[in-house]
Amino acid sequence: MPITYDAVKALSAQLYDWSLRRVPPDTLAGLETALASETQDGARQVLRMMLGSARKAEAEDRFVCSDAGVPVFHVTIGTAARLDGDIKAAISDGFDELVERISPPLLKHVTNPLTNERGYKGRDMPLVTWDVAGGADWVEILCQPKALGSGRWAALETFSFPSLAQIEAYVMKVVMQAGSQHCPPVIIGVGIGGSFDVAARIASKATMRAIGTTNPEPVLAAMEQRLLRAVNATGFGPMGTGGDTTALAVHVDYASGHGYTPVAVCFNCWINRRTRARIHNDGRVERME
Amino acid sequence: MRTIRFPMSREDARSLSAGDMILADGEIVITAGLPTIQRLVACADEARDPPIALDGGSLFHLGSYSQDTADGGLEILYMNPTTSTRFNPLMPRLIRHFGLTAVGGKGGLDAGCVDAMAEVGCVYLSFLGGGAPLHSAAIKAVRAVAYPDLVAHYRLVRLAVEGLGPLTVGIDTHGNSLFDTLQQQAADRMPDILARLAAERAAS
Repeated sequence: MPITYDAVKALSAQLYDWSLRRVPPDTLAGLETALASETQDGARQVLRMMLGSARKAEAEDRFVCSDAGVPVFHVTIGTAARLDGDIKAAISDGFDELVERISPPLLKHVTNPLTNERGYKGRDMPLVTWDVAGGADWVEILCQPKALGSGRWAALETFSFPSLAQIEAYVMKVVMQAGSQHCPPVIIGVGIGGSFDVAARIASKATMRAIGTTNPEPVLAAMEQRLLRAVNATGFGPMGTGGDTTALAVHVDYASGHGYTPVAVCFNCWINRRTRARIHNDGRVERME
Repeated sequence: MRTIRFPMSREDARSLSAGDMILADGEIVITAGLPTIQRLVACADEARDPPIALDGGSLFHLGSYSQDTADGGLEILYMNPTTSTRFNPLMPRLIRHFGLTAVGGKGGLDAGCVDAMAEVGCVYLSFLGGGAPLHSAAIKAVRAVAYPDLVAHYRLVRLAVEGLGPLTVGIDTHGNSLFDTLQQQAADRMPDILARLAAERAAS
């Protein structure tokens, strides 16, 4: 039984729906850890509210945030996956159908950037990236809706043969630009090298890694730890009203390039919406996040 | 924690300090739309009454999904704050013209707004982003919805709420802004932060 149009359509819509109603377990654990170590009373109160909001959303099947963002999917196709049908159209059609039936209804956030008109449809919506996994017999779909609150603070600058000091100083510059604005504590993704588009994609993918996991590259693992301490030393705190917890994690990755080195920095707000599942060649759906 | 009646009185506004946390009972007016704020500025400029009275009121940058009910009423399915700094250029005009006592949303407002708020006696209240389940549960009734031609979260909505919050006083009437203070504090700390990064790089 191949991986069908219908299966991809149903699963991509489900992943988006699920992502709106539940904060991922790694993120809840990160908030609990932050609450245990936070020293400021106001910040502790805000963290408790975050945990309360997340639990209430899950228990009562509510949206955590009124801003459902725009649907963003990252699809990885195994080279041994057997496909039946237009799975690209399936993702778009799945979102269109979801808009018709989801309860409660979604607000209109899909925005034409030339007119600022908002609706449910628009060019290239949903936003989908495509990747290939050698030998795999599945299609993996990761859904990570993005909204203005944290999305607008992403930034990229291109350097020439930068030192690690320059790269880290740039990350801190972007953190300062975001300040109190991005619904902290955030998950920060940093992409170094490659080309303009590759660095941005690496940064975005870095935010998808589970909080609490260690980067397998020792140089990056050390960078992540010291950048996390540096970001939390700024003092912006939960919701940017002061505290020890401005970020739950900093995740860094890189690609080799040519010596002109783009450095991309992006943020996920504290609710860190993320769901992921695989459809196998035998039709089995494996929910992973 | 102190519970304050809304619309907030000028006296209550002036009694608050940046960093205080409060709960809100009473009536508030909300919108998350830039076109809405522009329409309200046009009302001020043209000396017209807005469709929902704002004089001495409390106007928050909260988006909501409002819809008609079968019995001819209105309901809000969910509500949550939006980024207030988007409205920085327009808020001083609204704060001064309508004599607002409380504004709010998330992320704060800039120095021009802080000045207008000190002049008028208005506070900024920070709501939890991603707090839709909590904020929505505090809604007791929908009093009015204006600008129905706009998308739902842009509409101007007057609500009765009970136990909304806790809300953090981000900017008080005395010119104190947590957001400005924290930005300056982070800038002041940055030389030390960068020095520590350098030391840790050298040690790793």
